[in-house]
Amino acid sequence: MSSRNRENRHQAIREATDVHALRNIRESEQDRLSAALSSTPVNAALDSLSELHDALINRALELVETELARLGFGAPPVPYAYLLFGSGGRFEQTFSSDQDSGIVFANPETAQEAETYASYFRKFAETAVEFLIELGYPPCEGNVISTNPEWCLPLREWESKLDGWFAEPSWENVRYLLIIADGRAVAGDAGLADVLKNRFFTDMLQSPVIVRRMMENTLRHKVLVGIFGQLLRERYGENAGGLDIKYGAYIPMVNLFRLLAVQAGIRETSTLGRIAALAHEKKLTLVEAEQASSAFTLLLRMRLLTAVKTEGSQWIGSGKIPKKQLTKELTHLLKKALKFGKRMQRRVEREMQDRFGGR
Amino acid sequence: MVKKSLIALGALLVLFPTAAFAEDPSAATLNMGLNALWILIAGVLVLLMQGGFILLETGSTRMKNAGHVAGKTIFTVGLCSLIYWAVGYGFSFGTEAAAGLNKFIGIGNFFFDPAVAAGEGENYPTTIFFVFQLAFAAVSLSIAWGGFAERAKLSSYLIYTILFSSIIYPVIAHWIWGGGWLAADGAQDYAGSTVVHLTGAMGALAATILLKPRIGKYNKDGSANQIAGHNQVFSALSVLLLWVGWFGFNAGSALAVGDGFFGYVAFNTQLGAAGGAVAALLVSWMFSGKADIPTMLNGALAGLVAITASCAYVEPWAAVVIGLIAGVLVYVSAKFFEKIRVDDPISAMSVHGAAGVWGTLANGLFATKELAAKVNVGQAGLFYGGGGHQLWVQFESVVVCGAYAFAASFILLWIMKQVIGFRVTEEQEIIGLDLSEHGSYGYPEHLKKTGSL
Repeated sequence: MSSRNRENRHQAIREATDVHALRNIRESEQDRLSAALSSTPVNAALDSLSELHDALINRALELVETELARLGFGAPPVPYAYLLFGSGGRFEQTFSSDQDSGIVFANPETAQEAETYASYFRKFAETAVEFLIELGYPPCEGNVISTNPEWCLPLREWESKLDGWFAEPSWENVRYLLIIADGRAVAGDAGLADVLKNRFFTDMLQSPVIVRRMMENTLRHKVLVGIFGQLLRERYGENAGGLDIKYGAYIPMVNLFRLLAVQAGIRETSTLGRIAALAHEKKLTLVEAEQASSAFTLLLRMRLLTAVKTEGSQWIGSGKIPKKQLTKELTHLLKKALKFGKRMQRRVEREMQDRFGGR
Repeated sequence: MVKKSLIALGALLVLFPTAAFAEDPSAATLNMGLNALWILIAGVLVLLMQGGFILLETGSTRMKNAGHVAGKTIFTVGLCSLIYWAVGYGFSFGTEAAAGLNKFIGIGNFFFDPAVAAGEGENYPTTIFFVFQLAFAAVSLSIAWGGFAERAKLSSYLIYTILFSSIIYPVIAHWIWGGGWLAADGAQDYAGSTVVHLTGAMGALAATILLKPRIGKYNKDGSANQIAGHNQVFSALSVLLLWVGWFGFNAGSALAVGDGFFGYVAFNTQLGAAGGAVAALLVSWMFSGKADIPTMLNGALAGLVAITASCAYVEPWAAVVIGLIAGVLVYVSAKFFEKIRVDDPISAMSVHGAAGVWGTLANGLFATKELAAKVNVGQAGLFYGGGGHQLWVQFESVVVCGAYAFAASFILLWIMKQVIGFRVTEEQEIIGLDLSEHGSYGYPEHLKKTGSL
């Protein structure tokens, strides 16, 4: 896409004065990107898509601030960062990504301030989630969303929460830590998010064993390739004969490289960024990194092909590639990518076993 | 305690001295008595297999049909018994037909009125033979119900039971076991891979083709949905019941205690079942990535079905191979039927049909000369120097019996469909047959009577 095009788009987003206008832009831009998908390199397409989502969310949050001021809640009392987790955090949104979000705001000094800030950001989160739903982002089913009071906190409380999760690595808490690992600021004061991430990585260094708990937490999703190297396709339902690319390929690979990255203290949140950094840190050989990148790029492209249906006003992705799109050539490429994924998964499992013992 | 017993025993001996001093029974009487005892026990074991079918079919289907699915088995066993007594037994084992007709059907012994005890020179009383044979007919019938499950009208169960117990099953039983034309050819089907299992499976196939798939089984684009059974524990228990019952089915078919050969039959039966269970689990694990429990259960049954024809004719290693192949076959076959849009809720066609065909053909490969001579049917198979002859005979019996059972079932059910209808209405199917056919649920506390399912 030409930079001119991109400039125009951003201009339009910046000038939108209500969510409705933003939604129109989203629809037309997604249509355009989707049509251009076959002729654009997937990395460029994904970058454009990710930029689009970021710009839309940014503008929507500005509109939230305006709306709150209009309603008499005033301007934000202190700096804050609006956090994205999940695919948004990893710059890997599709056309149908949902909202995984949180808010971190600057520390209050008094109880009075604490109350004021909390009530402002509660209202802020409510309005933001509502606007984003209007914009077509379905809320997170797992309740990892800024309207959840547990995910809308001042920095100090976030830090003690992190410490608590590290201190007591139950299944649920480890899951939260994995979510934080993919977090980043999409809007507001990125410095606050950095402080939070600093805490995360300091805690990581102090309890290396957490890596193993993290691995156990994600082992459930296996790469969908059988012992003969065959794809393990969907057997039943609308997508019978298709492949669950989300949970059978993409998520396992995300989990794998997240694990290696946090273990190495790498702060990148995008999977391709993590792979590059891992190669740089000599945790992966150049050949492995090459294979990993091309396998993962393929999965990202596939993920954009997954069946999307609109449910009400929301885009809902099935995460599954329909059978008719699995051409012979694609199947061949997928098998190769998945076999690599499976090999890496095994290797990491074995390393953890050697390091921390079996259970 | 011991003292009291001894005193009681002493008193009884004084009161009834005859028990102690009666004349010794002859060796022939003892032999007959032992045979009779074993065959009756075996017959009861085979009848108990109906408990397996009840649990298998109920566990593999949905809650809203549970009472119907379970209850109708008992009803049809009852009806089958009356029809088999009246005419079925005569068509199978009657001896009054002229030689030409006898090739195809037996005549005589209608409304069977047997002697109360074994006659001179008989190996067992005919009463016990009847009970044993009846239990087989009822098993074959219950296999056919797999194709009816969850959508056939109750009246169709009634009509098909009458037809099956009189002119479908008895004819095939006569051909192979009652001195008919396939028996003359030397077709080896020791306990009924073809006679019982393939016949039942063909009835199921005809029914399921005429009934068409259950509502919700297939999508518009032809892809299948999973309609999971409501109780996997029932299904597992059913397999155990059937497995145990199968010792009656196979080892009982020796129809004698004699030199203990029925023990060898039981031994091979166990190996076949084991092979089927193990192979099916491993195969589903390797091909689908998950070790599927229903597939494994079907594998055990397929191993049993396959070894049924061959249990008396093959060496132990062959029994294992026959079971292993049956386990693989049942997995492939279930996928195949699903793909061609034949809705087979309890895999009757794969377990009893595909494995029944395999088990019968396996004789043509693995039967040994010594064992064929011992059973005194047919000859050695391809791998034991018998050439292709036995394989051809086995193939012929599978094709002819399968074709007859399918054609007869299909034509009779088709006529019934035209005359009175075969399938319940869409509304009845959605509400469930418990309510539509019987007026009360098998699980009344789990399901409301509103029909809002």
